[in-house]
Amino acid sequence: MFPRVRPNKYMRRQTKRLLRHTTMGSLPLIDPLLVLIAHYSSTLLLLLVLCVVAIVGIFVLRDVNTTNVEAQKMYVGSVLGLHRIGELQYQAQETRRATFYALTTNDSNLQVEYADQSRGAERLVNEGIVEYLRQARMPQEIETGKRLQMDWSDFLNVRDEVLASILEGSTKEAVNLDQAGGLQSFDRVRQDLDEIKRLYNEQASQRLANVVASSRRFTIRLITVLALTLVFASASVWAIQRSKMLAAIQFAELQVEFVASVSHELRSPLAVISSAADNIADGLISGKDNLHKYGEIIRNHSRQITELVNQVLQFASTQDRRSRYVLRPLGVSQIIETVLDNASEQLRAAGFTVERQWEANLPCITGDLSALVQCLQNLIMNSVKYSGESRWIAIRARLVNLEDRGPEIQIAVQDHGIGIARSEMPHIFEPFYRSAAVIDAQIHGAGLGLSLAKNIAEAMGGKLSVVSELARGSTFTLHLPVAQSQEFEVTGAAFDAAPTNTK
Amino acid sequence: MLRRAGPLCILSGAGFMAMALSIAAGRPPRVPPDPPAGSEQNLAIVVHHSNPTENLSMAELRKIFLGERRHWPNGRRITLVMMEPGQPERAAVLGLIYQMSENDFNNHFLHGLFTGEVFVSPKTLATPLGVRKFIFNVPGAIGYVRASDVDESVKVIRIDERLPEDKGYRLHVPPRASK
Repeated sequence: MFPRVRPNKYMRRQTKRLLRHTTMGSLPLIDPLLVLIAHYSSTLLLLLVLCVVAIVGIFVLRDVNTTNVEAQKMYVGSVLGLHRIGELQYQAQETRRATFYALTTNDSNLQVEYADQSRGAERLVNEGIVEYLRQARMPQEIETGKRLQMDWSDFLNVRDEVLASILEGSTKEAVNLDQAGGLQSFDRVRQDLDEIKRLYNEQASQRLANVVASSRRFTIRLITVLALTLVFASASVWAIQRSKMLAAIQFAELQVEFVASVSHELRSPLAVISSAADNIADGLISGKDNLHKYGEIIRNHSRQITELVNQVLQFASTQDRRSRYVLRPLGVSQIIETVLDNASEQLRAAGFTVERQWEANLPCITGDLSALVQCLQNLIMNSVKYSGESRWIAIRARLVNLEDRGPEIQIAVQDHGIGIARSEMPHIFEPFYRSAAVIDAQIHGAGLGLSLAKNIAEAMGGKLSVVSELARGSTFTLHLPVAQSQEFEVTGAAFDAAPTNTK
Repeated sequence: MLRRAGPLCILSGAGFMAMALSIAAGRPPRVPPDPPAGSEQNLAIVVHHSNPTENLSMAELRKIFLGERRHWPNGRRITLVMMEPGQPERAAVLGLIYQMSENDFNNHFLHGLFTGEVFVSPKTLATPLGVRKFIFNVPGAIGYVRASDVDESVKVIRIDERLPEDKGYRLHVPPRASK
């Protein structure tokens, strides 16, 4: 049997260690990343998908916009441009045609009307040329436009003379004038218009090529971005699956480790109890003193088993957030006295001297008496267990005013034991953690005492700190905030003191 | 006669001034409104803007209208523009310049063209607008319209140093029949 431990802060921390020793092969660069992914897997995936969708959206919008602009330019530049040139060509023809219509009649009124039509078409051509020059950007366009303007002006000069001759009645002179200059100048105008048309066609081809290129670019980008999205999504799924697999392996290994540790811790005292019971049952033990001695052995080992089972149960309950502490104002001396009373027999049996020191009139703290007693008792038993040859511990309490957190009570348990190596310090509050040196020294324990003490401290709104030096001893300090005056009126049932490490 | 023409000259002069001001202001020129029916108007002799002639004596004008002069001083061939028979403007010109009847006018040009004494065959147009447009298109053309029908497309020349709006101007035309 083992407690149903759910992955939590501790397990995530353990993941780092396990990643270094996992049997599925470690990836030194990727695995730390996987730890992060394991931490924030769904958030990261969502963020990743959002980023990719946003990037895809920006690319698509940009390319659609570019293609749209190119298409509009093509339409305006080519379709409207060609329409304008077509209109220019038509009106230029009309200018000349209306002039010659005047030749077909002797009626001066009709001739004037045709002259009017010619001038109306001329005005439209002039406006068209001005508009073309206004929109011309390329040097070749501007040059052609100016040439057209000049040639058109030359043609109009001849046209005016031809018109005048027609209206004067000099038909022959009009025809001669037209053949001498009008025809050539109009041909030049026509060539200029053809040149402009050719330029428009070239531009249209260029713009069409731009649209095609833009469209192709858009397609390639879209495919690339979608492929990248697929790769990212696959990588994310792989990473999340791997991180979850690692967590599952770590959880399984923890369970095995836990079962092995607890079994080992149970087997030793059980073997002693069983052996003692066998000896008594077989009548090998005689005499009151021997029986008393065996009874003591059985009682001590039974207590050891009970203590272990209690720790396991308490740890399991804190992990499942089932611990409900009854918080109430407590006097510091009351807590310490209770702890020392509970531990007095074991301390006396082990031959320990206990130095007690606390200030008078210390303010109350808010907490659960039995939980705090358990916490301090774990610290004392820890000191007893790791004191080595020393048989001295001290328990001290004092009031400290902190700038950031306000007043707090510090209860310190000090020993002159074997101390803790600096490299072990980050792990000593992890459940089931036992240093190699301790295991080698065959000091029994489940590795739960300090973890439990820390959980309780945090559940009471405080914390547990340690100062230690190898072979010089350790000092564990329980920090508890001073009770506020209004807290004296709050019932303990209102507090569901979930341990802060199980967020 | 002169006493009756005085106020008309003033009115015509004011009309030209308003037109000149509107051209200077960049607005389309406004043709002066027709004078009230029943009042006599002056007849303007108009030529192309490129024509350098500014003034003609009555004798020179008569010579030109009779077709006895072929070219302008700038060398341009003279083209005479007349309005159709029956128009009051034509009647006024026949009376004041040619001093002929319609038949005498026709005979003069038939005879003159045949004998070579006349160099110019007059062009006939139906409306004052047609006259203006003709003159606008033909640099050597000369014609006549009422002073109120003049616009910026043609140039009015002085006759005996007088413009139609000036006092003592001698070419008048009877009023149009009321519409």
